[in-house]
Amino acid sequence: MTDFHHLHNLQDAKASFERNNPDVQVLIEQAADHYELLQAYKSDEAPDMIESGGWALFNHKDMFVDLLPYVDEVPGLKEDFNPGLMRVACKDGNLPGLPVDIALPLILYRKDMFDSAGLPYPTDDWTWDEMMALAERLTIRGDNGVARQFGFGFGVDIEEFEPFIMRNGGRYLSADGSTSRGHVDQPAVIEAFRKLIDAYRVHRVIRNPGEPSEAGELHQGFAMIFGFTWFAGGLVIHGLSDKFGVVGLPNMPGGERSNMLYMGAAGVTSKSRHPRLAWEFVRHYALERADAFRPSSARTLPATRSLAEESGMTQHPIWSRYVQELDHVQTSGFYISEKWNASRQLINEDIHKMILEGADVAQKLNSWTRFA
Amino acid sequence: MRDYDPSGVRIARDREETEEERHSRVLAERAQLGDTEAFGELIERHRSQAKMWAERITGNPHMADDIVQDALIRAFLHIGSLHDTSRFLPWLHKIVRNQANMRLRRGGPYKREKPFAAFGSAEGEIDAVDWDDLDSVLFHLTRTAASEANNVHDPAESLMRKELYETIHSVLNCLNRKERDIFEAYFFKQLSPDEIAAMYRMTTGSIYTYIHRSRQKLRQAHVRVSLGLLPKGGGKALVKSKLLQLPEWPASDAVMLSFIDRIGQMLAAVGDRRDMAELMGISGFAFRMQISDRTTYADGLYMFDWRQTLKAFMRELGYETTLLCGQLAGSPVPLLGAVERFPVVLPIEEAVIPFIRQEIDAGRPVLYFDTAASRPYVHEWSLIYGYDDDKRTVQLTDVMKPEGKMLAYGDIALNPVRFLASVRRIEDPARAARTRAAKGMEGRRIAESAILLAIAHARNPRAYCPMTAYLSYTSGLSAYDRWIGHMRGDPAVPPNRYGAGQLAAAYSQTRRYAAYYLRGIPFQGEAMRLALLASEAYEQASETLAEFSDEVPFVRTAEALSPEQCGKCVVWLERAKAFEAAAIGYLEKAIDHSEKGKSI
Repeated sequence: MTDFHHLHNLQDAKASFERNNPDVQVLIEQAADHYELLQAYKSDEAPDMIESGGWALFNHKDMFVDLLPYVDEVPGLKEDFNPGLMRVACKDGNLPGLPVDIALPLILYRKDMFDSAGLPYPTDDWTWDEMMALAERLTIRGDNGVARQFGFGFGVDIEEFEPFIMRNGGRYLSADGSTSRGHVDQPAVIEAFRKLIDAYRVHRVIRNPGEPSEAGELHQGFAMIFGFTWFAGGLVIHGLSDKFGVVGLPNMPGGERSNMLYMGAAGVTSKSRHPRLAWEFVRHYALERADAFRPSSARTLPATRSLAEESGMTQHPIWSRYVQELDHVQTSGFYISEKWNASRQLINEDIHKMILEGADVAQKLNSWTRFA
Repeated sequence: MRDYDPSGVRIARDREETEEERHSRVLAERAQLGDTEAFGELIERHRSQAKMWAERITGNPHMADDIVQDALIRAFLHIGSLHDTSRFLPWLHKIVRNQANMRLRRGGPYKREKPFAAFGSAEGEIDAVDWDDLDSVLFHLTRTAASEANNVHDPAESLMRKELYETIHSVLNCLNRKERDIFEAYFFKQLSPDEIAAMYRMTTGSIYTYIHRSRQKLRQAHVRVSLGLLPKGGGKALVKSKLLQLPEWPASDAVMLSFIDRIGQMLAAVGDRRDMAELMGISGFAFRMQISDRTTYADGLYMFDWRQTLKAFMRELGYETTLLCGQLAGSPVPLLGAVERFPVVLPIEEAVIPFIRQEIDAGRPVLYFDTAASRPYVHEWSLIYGYDDDKRTVQLTDVMKPEGKMLAYGDIALNPVRFLASVRRIEDPARAARTRAAKGMEGRRIAESAILLAIAHARNPRAYCPMTAYLSYTSGLSAYDRWIGHMRGDPAVPPNRYGAGQLAAAYSQTRRYAAYYLRGIPFQGEAMRLALLASEAYEQASETLAEFSDEVPFVRTAEALSPEQCGKCVVWLERAKAFEAAAIGYLEKAIDHSEKGKSI
């Protein structure tokens, strides 16, 4: 059972698995969200396997079989997994599911916009302040003040702010996720947050919530884009990738080389009546299908180094940079505290207030200690 | 008589309360019922005052912030113990002062807490209450209740409270020291089992066992109370049951949007039966359409600001709403787009059951969001119309069970979405008289407002935007395009079948109600003719969507839709959209004529 709405990978895996195992039939059922999946698990007809976006269900103790013993049975598999990924996936000392839908953000920039402005392309050693200076040069507003080109394409979501916080040496939460007090309210977080809010309010290089724009879609009128793999994949699929270059997130004063990671997982439920067969299927689905990660059609990253090689990702000018970045991922706040994660929209409302009303950043961050 | 608070907050009881005091009192009363929004408003009003007090005591603005935070949590936990709601401010002041003193005693915010248990202090020294120590709090509450029983106007009420505190106290005495510590940490300090486990160097599992065991002991004590064994001679008012008689509500007449259907039933239960077409029309739900941008999941049906919508709609109908609202953190929550904006709350029975008891006792059923709805539904609004302290269950409605069903108190507390509401008629005779006198005008105003709402919704592709980049919905006429896009779709993203079935059934029905509603509005002349044309167009849209619904019925199935079925559905959706676009065009003209009619 899955709560993904893109089902092509599952359907492909089902077809090839059934072909290789003629006596087995895999039934795919869709659920609208984590809650429906949990209800299905609790019912008398629990699915053998559950695939879910995010990590919320995989934090439920005893809901999934630990896959590490199965992994150990396959020679070389443990070493083949990307270690950055496994640091996050095995944070509780077990592996409740095989990572799927693996994504992280980098900066994708429009080479033609840099060329017309006579600016050099950014490189991995660039700083946040340098990025802002570039973004200001690359923001073009008409006489009416409406931008037809923005320097930086970035949304408003606490989760997407997090890599910049991490890179400044800050964290939203304690390592075990038990509290945000003494973390989210600390100077490194406040400093990075102020810089981000200034990008909207002072530098005016990001489209503010509700701001009129003539810049079109993200791939059209934005010079630098905070782009996850889903977006990068879209560029490649639509033949636009030649226009873009890719570079790491800018360095923050804290000087830490970190990034966030987004992923879900496919796990074998503890109620499964066929755990070994279920493991075989999730392994086939997540680890044996290089075709799912061909640079020409992929939108997410593979879990193993061999898949990255075999699929051709490591040779691709854009995808290879994303694969490389996996070495630097850290565990985000939303993976380790459901309370923090559940408060996302309340927090985002506060970020809107910072951007639109100039609400005091330090005061708001301090008040977020109530969320975890 | 004057009452003097040593902090300098002077209370004059022999004068009329000011508007500000009245408002605070009403908020405190609502907060006591568990209305988290009311509590939030109270806090907004008094936070800076609280900070000033804390700063004055500690001389440290940072520590003052922490103190206020802790004091507010404590105030929230204990607001039920505030006997005189007009004294919220002095009461809050005491909590702030106690918190500040405790911090100072501890030598700073991060020193390990050493509970102060000198609760047996001299009569009148209520400042000695240590709000972190359950014994002290209970002792204080019991004593206050006893002395109030001697002095205030309603001794029965205070005595009942006294019994309650004594009961809690006695029950807690059944627990051993460790059980009590864990119980206190869990219920009063709001620590999670993981945090408690870390504190006591135990496993989380054993913490759960402790909490479970304590709960069982409490339950046994409850039984004893019901038998009159504890406390001596008391308990008569503590354990009760009550079942309200709900009005007949045949399933054949029910509206699929359970939000409106339950509101209709709730009003009928208090003797105010309304026409469903009127409720659907005035609320705007007859005209709404919202489709997820991801696929044909039916969550768009539930995506709106629940709190604001319910309050505004009930106000329009002449009712005031009391809300209990939140989400649990430890469990996945459905309908994130709407629910993630609720505050995170703890699964504590005491936070919900007293509210249910009180409303049922007053003869009012409680609107409740049931996340254990019977299949094919996953979650729906229901009405709680009975409770039984002995069995520890509530009785509630379920769309698929005409006879109703029972849920345990524990299940209510563990519902990951906490949304309970009750309504009371606003006593405003002047308004009622005005309405009666100008019924024609009032009816026209309401209809115009409903139609303007319908037009605004139809023309707005983003009527509801969750505060997250991960979820988005398309609304109004554009929702048809989104839906068509899903059905026509990329084979990689096949339309979700059961979701599409629910959407078709629900929206076919809402369009039928739009047609009914428009037939009954008090417009005249050309405006009415246009409204009737719009009604006809909605009827056609409804029938077209019904064909979709017949092809894809709302049942839970893993079966995928065939390309042929999707093709047929696309044709129906395109046709329904054309009808609805025509209806909106007629309504825009009808409003123009109605406006002209007024200016003539």
